[in-house]
Amino acid sequence: MTIPFTHLLFLAILLFAMGAACAMTQKNLFMILIGVEVMLNAAGIAFVAAAMRWQDMNGQVMALFVMTVAAAEIAVALALIVCIQRRTRSTNADHCSMLKG
Amino acid sequence: MTVLSWPKDILAVLFQLLLAGGGITVFAVGAFVKNKPKSLLFSLAIGSVLSAAVAALLIDGGRMPFFQMLDVGVYARFFNVLFALVAFFSLLFSHQHAGLRQVAGDEFYGLMILAVLGMSLVAGATHWLIFFLGFELLSLAFYILIAMRRDDLPGNEAALKYLIMGMVSGGFLAFGIAMFYASTGTLDMPIGLADLKKVVSPTGMLLSLGLILSATGFKISLVPFHLWTPDVYQGAPTPVTALLTTGSKIAVFAGLLRILMLSSNWLWAHATPVLWTLAAATLLTGSITALAQTRIKRLLAYSSVAQMGYAVMGVLATREDGGLAVMFYFTAYALMDMGAFGAISTLCASPESDLDELENYRGLGYSHPWQAALLTICLLSLAGLPPTAGFIGKFMVFKAVLQAQYIVLAVIGIASAILSIFVYLKVIVVMFMRSQKDMAVTSGFGVEARLAFALILFGVIWAGVFPSPLQALISRIITSISI
Repeated sequence: MTIPFTHLLFLAILLFAMGAACAMTQKNLFMILIGVEVMLNAAGIAFVAAAMRWQDMNGQVMALFVMTVAAAEIAVALALIVCIQRRTRSTNADHCSMLKG
Repeated sequence: MTVLSWPKDILAVLFQLLLAGGGITVFAVGAFVKNKPKSLLFSLAIGSVLSAAVAALLIDGGRMPFFQMLDVGVYARFFNVLFALVAFFSLLFSHQHAGLRQVAGDEFYGLMILAVLGMSLVAGATHWLIFFLGFELLSLAFYILIAMRRDDLPGNEAALKYLIMGMVSGGFLAFGIAMFYASTGTLDMPIGLADLKKVVSPTGMLLSLGLILSATGFKISLVPFHLWTPDVYQGAPTPVTALLTTGSKIAVFAGLLRILMLSSNWLWAHATPVLWTLAAATLLTGSITALAQTRIKRLLAYSSVAQMGYAVMGVLATREDGGLAVMFYFTAYALMDMGAFGAISTLCASPESDLDELENYRGLGYSHPWQAALLTICLLSLAGLPPTAGFIGKFMVFKAVLQAQYIVLAVIGIASAILSIFVYLKVIVVMFMRSQKDMAVTSGFGVEARLAFALILFGVIWAGVFPSPLQALISRIITSISI
């Protein structure tokens, strides 16, 4: 049995909305990263689902690239968070408030 | 399906290859060469950027190589030369600045080159995969460049803000492309955007374009998405800010302009109200908030937000000569914003900190006449006063917008321009007031910075007094791509 395309697309949109809500409302830096990760993986699901619908490999390739880019982004993000955590002893985004004007 | 043809396809992407090779060489030399001469990395970076610029100037790519994924035609070459030029100036300004702030390692120069590679991919992409990869390469390089001073907490904080905004916008872009693919069945930009028969789900297509527009809106700081701009500009090392405000914005804008020029009339009709609102909000918010700023980098950040508003105005008139206006405007903007931030980057309050408070610029015109002169000319150009490039750029944008019958938007634009004249004049007046004590310390005004000063001054004045050669060049480019 194949799952209908609309179901998959609905799942992807739901995941994307949840990820975006998490990334935009959470204060903890790690929660923000997780939210972004969920957003990118939602895009991955949508790509694979659409690739199945169109019987076309481009979407699957795109999903692979999205995963790779997500890994690279997380690497930079974690390095930066560690660097900030060493100085401020906190991973709360609200504690970063030196720059104002 | 075409097979890769040697050496034609390789030559066509020589610009990108030289940058990628240059970036990797800088990293390798930094890692493996012991006891290297002091300016070796800097010279390598300059060499790779300049050779790439020459490659983009000389080599006509002709047809699109690599399965029509990357445009190497005149439009892309124009922007490639502009990015190489901007990176060249930024490198010239950063040599002594970076040396003084102890960041002049291989990462700094290597990442700057890779950021330019990302810019050229975004501006040249005709396939969503290349657009996405270029967008992310650009962002990744800038996350690290902004945080380059590891022990500098404001710099880290700025990088964190840019990182969170950049990652969210990357997510928006990825999902937008996924929706595009789901509703058209292709990742090819021209086919998916122009061919209405391909669109099986109009709602999905509009959702996709909305997501992509917000993702690009983050990067070019259009108004609801602009909140990161002042903080990041303030915290980042000033030469990096200069590259961020010129290069990355122009690149994303060039991609956006291509998307809009390729769009079918149906998509265009849906995009115009959104763009109209964005332009009006960006113009007003940018110039009104700039009035209240007391720090020069934040002031220029808000002014650059307003400058993007004029560009969006020009984009709205794309079907009436707006493309010409936008491309001219960006050439002028690249020079004048680079000049303004470059002049600031050669000044500092102490060897460790930037000269940022506007109050400290009092008397700069007498103590540091060269920096003050460049800053004054660039600010006048940003304000759009003759005889500078900024004046011609604004004039062309307004002309195109009026031709396209956006009267209200033009009035908003003029109001914003008048407000911003006050902002820029405030800085100029402060610089030429006498002060009791001299606050500014020169952070290194060596031969590189002098060369950049001279070239930028020449460019801003020349494009303002004799704009016709550049206009002719751009209109030839525009006619060759409006398919």
